[in-house]
Amino acid sequence: MLSLAIAAPLLGMIFFLRRGKDMVEHLRHVASLSIAISLVAAFYGAAFVWTGGETWIEGLLTLDSFGSIPLVLFSGLALVSVLAMPKVDCTARNFANLLGLCAGTFLAYTASDLAGFATGWAITLLPLFFEGSSELRAPRLAGLASVLLLVFAIFSDSSWAGFVCLTMAALLRKGVFPFHFWVPIAFEKTSPAWMNLFLNGHLAAVLIAKFGLRLFPEQSHEALGVISFLALSTALYAAIAALGESSTRRVIALLSLSQASFILAGLESRNAEGITGAIVHWMVVAIATTGLTLVYRLIEARSPQAANLKSFLGLAGRMPRLAVLFAVFGLALVGLPGTLGFVAEDLLFHGALESHPMLGLALPLATAMNAVSILRVFARIFLGKAPSTLPMLPDAYPMERWALSACAILLVIGGILPQIAIDLRQPAADAIAILLAAMSQ
Amino acid sequence: MNFPFDPKFLLAAALSIPMLLFLFFATCWVLGWDPKERTLANATSTGFSVSCLLTVLFAVELVLSGQKHFTAEMGIWFSSGAYSFPLTLFVDRLSLPLLTLTTILAGVIGSFSRQYLHHERGFFRFFLLLQLFAFGAMLVFAAGNFDLLLGGWELVGISSVLLITFFHERVEPVRNALRVFAFYRIADLGLLLGIFFLHHIAGSTSCIELFRGEWPAQSSEIGLGSATALGLLFLLAASGKSAQIPFCSWLPRAMEGPTPSSAIFYGAISVHMGAYLLLRAQPILAVSPIASAVTILVGTLTAALGTLSHRVSTDAKGSLAYASMTQLGIIFVEIGCGFSWLAIFHIIGHAALRTLQFLRAPSVLNDYHHMHAAAGGQLPVTGKQYDFFVPKPMQLWLYRMGLERGYLDAFVDRFIVNPVLRTSKAFGLTEVRSRIKSSVNDPNPSTIAPVAGGPVA
Repeated sequence: MLSLAIAAPLLGMIFFLRRGKDMVEHLRHVASLSIAISLVAAFYGAAFVWTGGETWIEGLLTLDSFGSIPLVLFSGLALVSVLAMPKVDCTARNFANLLGLCAGTFLAYTASDLAGFATGWAITLLPLFFEGSSELRAPRLAGLASVLLLVFAIFSDSSWAGFVCLTMAALLRKGVFPFHFWVPIAFEKTSPAWMNLFLNGHLAAVLIAKFGLRLFPEQSHEALGVISFLALSTALYAAIAALGESSTRRVIALLSLSQASFILAGLESRNAEGITGAIVHWMVVAIATTGLTLVYRLIEARSPQAANLKSFLGLAGRMPRLAVLFAVFGLALVGLPGTLGFVAEDLLFHGALESHPMLGLALPLATAMNAVSILRVFARIFLGKAPSTLPMLPDAYPMERWALSACAILLVIGGILPQIAIDLRQPAADAIAILLAAMSQ
Repeated sequence: MNFPFDPKFLLAAALSIPMLLFLFFATCWVLGWDPKERTLANATSTGFSVSCLLTVLFAVELVLSGQKHFTAEMGIWFSSGAYSFPLTLFVDRLSLPLLTLTTILAGVIGSFSRQYLHHERGFFRFFLLLQLFAFGAMLVFAAGNFDLLLGGWELVGISSVLLITFFHERVEPVRNALRVFAFYRIADLGLLLGIFFLHHIAGSTSCIELFRGEWPAQSSEIGLGSATALGLLFLLAASGKSAQIPFCSWLPRAMEGPTPSSAIFYGAISVHMGAYLLLRAQPILAVSPIASAVTILVGTLTAALGTLSHRVSTDAKGSLAYASMTQLGIIFVEIGCGFSWLAIFHIIGHAALRTLQFLRAPSVLNDYHHMHAAAGGQLPVTGKQYDFFVPKPMQLWLYRMGLERGYLDAFVDRFIVNPVLRTSKAFGLTEVRSRIKSSVNDPNPSTIAPVAGGPVA
């Protein structure tokens, strides 16, 4: 089943690269089918892990409690992205990029060794090279450097050298300060539909949690504090940078970066609630930023003026449902009560404060600034007086509405009944907590 | 005396109704259903009436039973490791009047708005946010621990901000809402950090575990240093919500919202939540003379600034906002002095009066002309007697001070907003350079931004 989950998008990608231009009318259907097959296969494997509590082993692929939820979540979000993608983005190249990204990410989630993981990691970078824009030099460079560092880590004889290479690869991929520079550029110069998924694979967190802690326990024990400090710096840096930014895409990229940095920072908390909070926050960031990005892209496709935050566009009157969905995703991202974001941040902050008070103090500050940025973007796009030159624009079409509503409902149900989400992630958090505890002894 | 109805059920049902209404209508709307005005208003009125009835029943039962407080353990909302988030509702002599008042006023505002906002474009939005607010406010007053209180507190904050942008076609309400939201978020940090600090030092945020005795004669075992830190953090949060110095400039800005929301938010319930928080944390404040003194100082300065600004304000709602600020300042002074009963009576009286005044605000000129005619054209000018005691230059200075709202906006802009924005710009300096470079290379400089994809054909 795991092979099927990886093979379906991979075959889909090959199909789009070879025959995509001949089947313009059916591109979305083919992509949906590929990802739906992956989703069913991923769900089947994950259900085995949840019910039996065992690891699914299939040749070189394994699915454990840590990877099962991200696998299902990622394939679900990929399906939502395909369904809610604006027509202008429905090109063979975009679908090929998205499916390639899915295949690579699934491989990385299920790889049983670092070599397999690195292969998946490298596949996810291919879309950056498929894109023709010359302005993607920085993201490509960062991606290429991260692959080389991973290869060094695999073949390194020294534990410390291996650990440093692995950590550097994770920091580059995550866009952790001072390697954050490529994230806003990539977000601005590519199609947000797949770039958002690229960022939301959170492969850097997988690398640290799944391989870093296991392969280099001593080094991890000593260096986790530094990684956490850098992640925290990124959260604050990106939050401040977003406040004065005028490009909508860059603001969304910076907000994603800032909130996603909490995941790495939370892993360092070294207690069950902090680690669970970090992993649940991963789910929140993935769902909320996917929703946020898709809503924004739908608006941008209808009204390109939305790319700039210097004036008020007043689109709420024309697109009320997209406005509400944007607000729900944005506020869930910054922890509005009643959404899963509140639960994740509550756990994260409590865990962080227990072990590292300074961490616990800085996280609410970054969240507060991010909340202001979210409302600023919302206000500039949806509120104010619409320019008289703005044509009549449609609100969300049924397919877009249903796909995005599913994400919003997931966040709200998760916020009202959070124990379900926590229980799903608890075994993974416990496994990490045990590893961290073993290191401390 | 035994309870004829299960009080736990009454309390939980009263609280759940506004939330269920909100979830139902919001979900249906997002999925494509547009309810009629009458359907929404009827459902809201019925829901609020039932909620109010249940709360009153609960209150009667509690009073007749002679119990001074009631605790309802609703289970654990979520837990992980050693941490759990209990869903505990707690109603005592402090929260019962405010809980009842909230359900009554929410119903009154719902009924009033049905006519007042008839055929208004944001009718649906208003009622939805009113339901969310009612749930948030009731949660704040019925919360048995500070964690749960934070949930309600933030829901009230976001519904308040979204209602300020009710007339979102105009830019000013939107700008003001952004400002109010920023103030709320900064002030909320006080509550958030206070709660984490409570967990850190006491291992719990439960009102039952933290405080001994019955309100208002409760005591706390928290040490002086911790009590001072906690008191100041809670004061920061309370000052934000109750429009006290240095956050007070948001209150007149919030008057951009529709009159019914101004009445329930800034006249009655929301604006008193800061005072409620301090009353709930009164045992902590009582331990710390420093925190109490700062509370008195903040209240006094706000009351003075509020009355000055009120006297030079030229619009009805703005004037009422400053009057509210003044009364809230006095309530803070009462809390700082430890006069808890006086403060709660003051809150209830002020909330009821101010709601009436706000709801009458659109007819204020008509009312004034009636009064003027009834008095035979001889209505006295209030405050004239102070002219005698205050020298002329001082009067001018005070006048300027009132007009400029104590220069607080200028202060915040100069020392907080501008430095943060400058830092933000500095962070993006390298990115700006790359964008300038790309715009120089752009053959068509009129394009807004080079984005991938492009517009729909």
